[in-house]
Amino acid sequence: CSQYQKVLKSSDTAVKYSTAEKLYNEAKAGEGNTKKKFRKALRLFEQIMPEYRGKPQGQRLSFLYADTYYELGDHYLAGYQFERFTETYPQSEKLEEAAFKGAKSYYNLSPRYDLDQTETHKAIEKLQAFINRFPESERLDEANELITELRVKLERKAYEIAKQYHHTLNYKAAITAFNNFILEYPGSPFREMAFYYKFDSAYQYAINSYAYAMPERLTAARSYYEDYKRYYPQGEFTAEAEAAFSDIEEKQQNL
Amino acid sequence: QAQDLPLANGKEYIIGDINVTGTVSYNEQTVIAFTGLKKGEKIYIPGDRISKVLKKLWDLGLFSDINIYVTSIEGDTANLELEIQEVPALADVKIQGVKKKQQEELIKENKLTPGAKVTENLLTTTKNYIENNYREDGYLNTKVYINAVPAEDTTGANLMNLVVNIDKGERVKIEDIEFEGNEALSNGFLKRQMKKTKEQNFFRFWKRSKFIPEDYETDKENILDAYKERGYRDARIVSDTLIKRDEDDVALRLKLEEGNQYYFGNINFVGNSVYSDAELQRTLGISKGDVYNGVLLEKQIADETKPDANDLTNKYQNTGYLFSNINPVEVKVYNDTIDFEIRIREGKVAYFNDISVVGNDKTKDHVIYREIRTKPGNKYSKEDVVRTVRELGQLGFFDAENLKPDFKNVDPNSGTLDLEYSVVEAGASQIELQGGYGGGGFVGTLGLSFNNFSLAGLFDKEAYKPLPMGDGQTLSLRAQASTYYQTYSLSFSEPWWGGVKPRRLSLSLQHTEQYFYDYRNRKADKDRKFSISGITLGLAKRLTVPDDFFVLSHAVAFQHYNLSNYNTGLFTFGDGYSNNLSYTVGLTRDNTFTNPIFPMGGSKFEILAKFTPPYSLFNDVDYANLDKEREFQLENEDGVLTQGAYNSAGQLVPTRPLRAGEEPIGDPAKIDQEKYKWLEFYKIKFNGTWYENLFAKLVMRAHAEYGFLGAYNNDRGIPPFERFYLGGDGMGTYSLDGREAIAMRGYPNQSLVPVNRGSMSRASDNDGATIYNKYSLELRYPITLKPTASIYALTFVEAGASYDGFRNFNPFEVNRSAGAGLRIFMPAFGLLGIDFGYGFDPVPGETKKNGWETHFIIGQQF
Repeated sequence: CSQYQKVLKSSDTAVKYSTAEKLYNEAKAGEGNTKKKFRKALRLFEQIMPEYRGKPQGQRLSFLYADTYYELGDHYLAGYQFERFTETYPQSEKLEEAAFKGAKSYYNLSPRYDLDQTETHKAIEKLQAFINRFPESERLDEANELITELRVKLERKAYEIAKQYHHTLNYKAAITAFNNFILEYPGSPFREMAFYYKFDSAYQYAINSYAYAMPERLTAARSYYEDYKRYYPQGEFTAEAEAAFSDIEEKQQNL
Repeated sequence: QAQDLPLANGKEYIIGDINVTGTVSYNEQTVIAFTGLKKGEKIYIPGDRISKVLKKLWDLGLFSDINIYVTSIEGDTANLELEIQEVPALADVKIQGVKKKQQEELIKENKLTPGAKVTENLLTTTKNYIENNYREDGYLNTKVYINAVPAEDTTGANLMNLVVNIDKGERVKIEDIEFEGNEALSNGFLKRQMKKTKEQNFFRFWKRSKFIPEDYETDKENILDAYKERGYRDARIVSDTLIKRDEDDVALRLKLEEGNQYYFGNINFVGNSVYSDAELQRTLGISKGDVYNGVLLEKQIADETKPDANDLTNKYQNTGYLFSNINPVEVKVYNDTIDFEIRIREGKVAYFNDISVVGNDKTKDHVIYREIRTKPGNKYSKEDVVRTVRELGQLGFFDAENLKPDFKNVDPNSGTLDLEYSVVEAGASQIELQGGYGGGGFVGTLGLSFNNFSLAGLFDKEAYKPLPMGDGQTLSLRAQASTYYQTYSLSFSEPWWGGVKPRRLSLSLQHTEQYFYDYRNRKADKDRKFSISGITLGLAKRLTVPDDFFVLSHAVAFQHYNLSNYNTGLFTFGDGYSNNLSYTVGLTRDNTFTNPIFPMGGSKFEILAKFTPPYSLFNDVDYANLDKEREFQLENEDGVLTQGAYNSAGQLVPTRPLRAGEEPIGDPAKIDQEKYKWLEFYKIKFNGTWYENLFAKLVMRAHAEYGFLGAYNNDRGIPPFERFYLGGDGMGTYSLDGREAIAMRGYPNQSLVPVNRGSMSRASDNDGATIYNKYSLELRYPITLKPTASIYALTFVEAGASYDGFRNFNPFEVNRSAGAGLRIFMPAFGLLGIDFGYGFDPVPGETKKNGWETHFIIGQQF
């Protein structure tokens, strides 16, 4: 059996430590089949972790262990292990890196916008905590970029849900949902669309209602049109909005 | 680096040496490393850092005492001593006085595993746990003694052995229950009200007599409730005595005071502006002069047990009045009459604001939000919330038992609330892999069914985890092969085609190939084959009128049959083809709830009509006189008209050439080929199922179904396709001819042919019927409804029969059966079950009653 198998079965923790570290360093440097090497290193780390707990080498080992999970793409465990590292060794010089990688692991766990965003919220929280704790870090820009990306994801989720109400002809629900969206996400890239579709929902709602309710709803739609025009005088949807608006004016005159 | 803060008048020191004392099994270095304190580090004494270190050590639960001392101070350097006392660890535990299995359970429940820290707390909780545990089982006199003995250990570790002595004593039984002071209600009646506290009785073997103090308290409440329901508002238990007869027998003596029987007087509503007194009165359903019933009054105001009850609270809750509050108050009591005032605070109308979903790790937002009835800006309605939860459960993507709505940011001032639905994803895919020996050879089946598929994800590399999921679509693939036949099918459906309204689009493709199988040499002859290819496209739409439980569906299907040198018995020709183009329209109403596997109530109706185009109306073929036409007459290989005779396979074969004066005869093969080139028929079916929750979780299912198959042109006749075959488990054994297998337990599969078929009739036993009816009544009781496996037991009675044509139809001339069975549903396997049915009537053609049949069920047939 191979050298690695021998080490794996041996009872000499020091040999295991050095072998694992060697594998880790090689993989880190991109030599050979890195994934396989990380996996091999991980098996050894798992074996020796308990023995080094509380010993001076434990600190370095914990970091390598967490980082191996990180490299292997197991973000659940990487996030957890980095968090444990930052709690156990607050004096470590690797603290900043660990805190960042821990937060980024949560970022990596964040799923696409139309699934549950619990992990996204957690990631934003962790990244923000990193920024607050290491305001001088060279990773600050990246952390800020990641946060922005996650925020836009949350905005997209809220926007798409509101848009679905519009699509499924639930115009009243769409108006409320777009209103909430506009209040909650002032700087969103979806803001213009939200304004336009809020107007369009109100317009559709008005023209598809009974005669007695129409005047009031047309007035509401009109005010949403004005909102849109005020914020986006040269907006992307100006043509559509104006067409609908002239229809509103015509209807209002005929009523 | 977290900053240290001084406490009180703490001074800053540099840490000198750290000594660890009192420890037994831990390495000094380990302990120091754990505290995080380092030589040379600056800390405040006393300070925040020190208290955190102490807390961190305490939190480990490994030490029974922790002290940090300053041993000496040299200048600004402080030498520290850390004194710790270890908690002994558990070496071994021995439990005496109970059976082995219970010992293991107690060890598990109390976590008495080797290495556990033996603290005072552990000993006390263990003792209490065991005592309570046995008390709840009726062992009132249980005594537990725990001895902790230091264990000998070669390594010098601090270990303890525990010996737990349990003296269960005898199970305490209730010898008798005596009542005193009861006149209106009898002793027996009162005893029956006590649901868990029962007298010892030899014949009542399903509920043993036990005395459990907690249950006894509830049962006393039950007695008072029984009085309250009958107008005895003041009834009370004056005293109750537990008399110890001997070691394991007690008697109960309850002294009651019934008081007077009361009646409802005037009931006035106060504070109502939305509903009139008369409307509220109708919902309340209690009027002046009724016997006073406090329990009923509570129930009519707010029934906690039924979320969709028709009570006063729901009347308000379903129309936006979330903050409404209804309070009955006794305003006047005179003689035996009580006047009530029902005080209503209506409050503001509440509107939903933000609606959100959490927990959907696979299913995409749009799939869930489209099913949610509570929309932003809508008036609050409890009914909508209840219905949404019900309908999300029915999707099958989530664990129906774990769906719950959370009310958030409920604001009575602005009249808004947010609602968050939390869901738990459940496995929605099924795999079927079978291999078996049957029908003369090996049969292998591979079936895959993905119930939450995403077609859009097919082209997205990221979506494969392991397969694209989350768009709520269904994709199933199935292949079955044996030595003499192969069938392949693929079906896809999208429940919200276009995403605007629920419109289910479904597409399915199917191909079957069957070879002639020679039973003598057990070989399939690939030159003689029969194949069917089909495609079906369907569209179903949920209606809004008359109510939104209705679904209207359309389907267009085409099937092509091709025979080459293969006699199926279906056709009189062995070479030829047949096409079946049909249009099906169906109307369904389904309001069953909540669990699709085990509906607790509601009903399901379906009416379905299937048509082919009426070719014979405009194709100018005289089907009655085909045999008069030269091209359909019997001839030999040389094209000479002949006489014919039936061979052993039932085919008419040419014999000798016609003599002069003899009439030519029709060739049934040619005639049938002409008749069945394009199949022509219409079919009407009706299906109705009712579910009724009788009590607890017992559900009654009543079911009736009818089917009729007819021809537009009687000369062309009803084709041998699409017919009904009644009997057995109703599973579609590979059906070549579009036949419908109708389940009817207690009889062999497809055995209940029309009774009037004698030896003289043209139809053989292989031909299906054109009319059938079936009724069944089932009682179901769930054993477990966990998401991993739902199991329920059932008993049934059924009656049904099939007929040839309306002339023979008699809905009362049916075959009857009864029996019982079991169903198991596991998400990965679907529904499996077994039924034992007894057929009370003979199968047509037999004389004695059919007797017992066993049916294995795969999939939802009943």
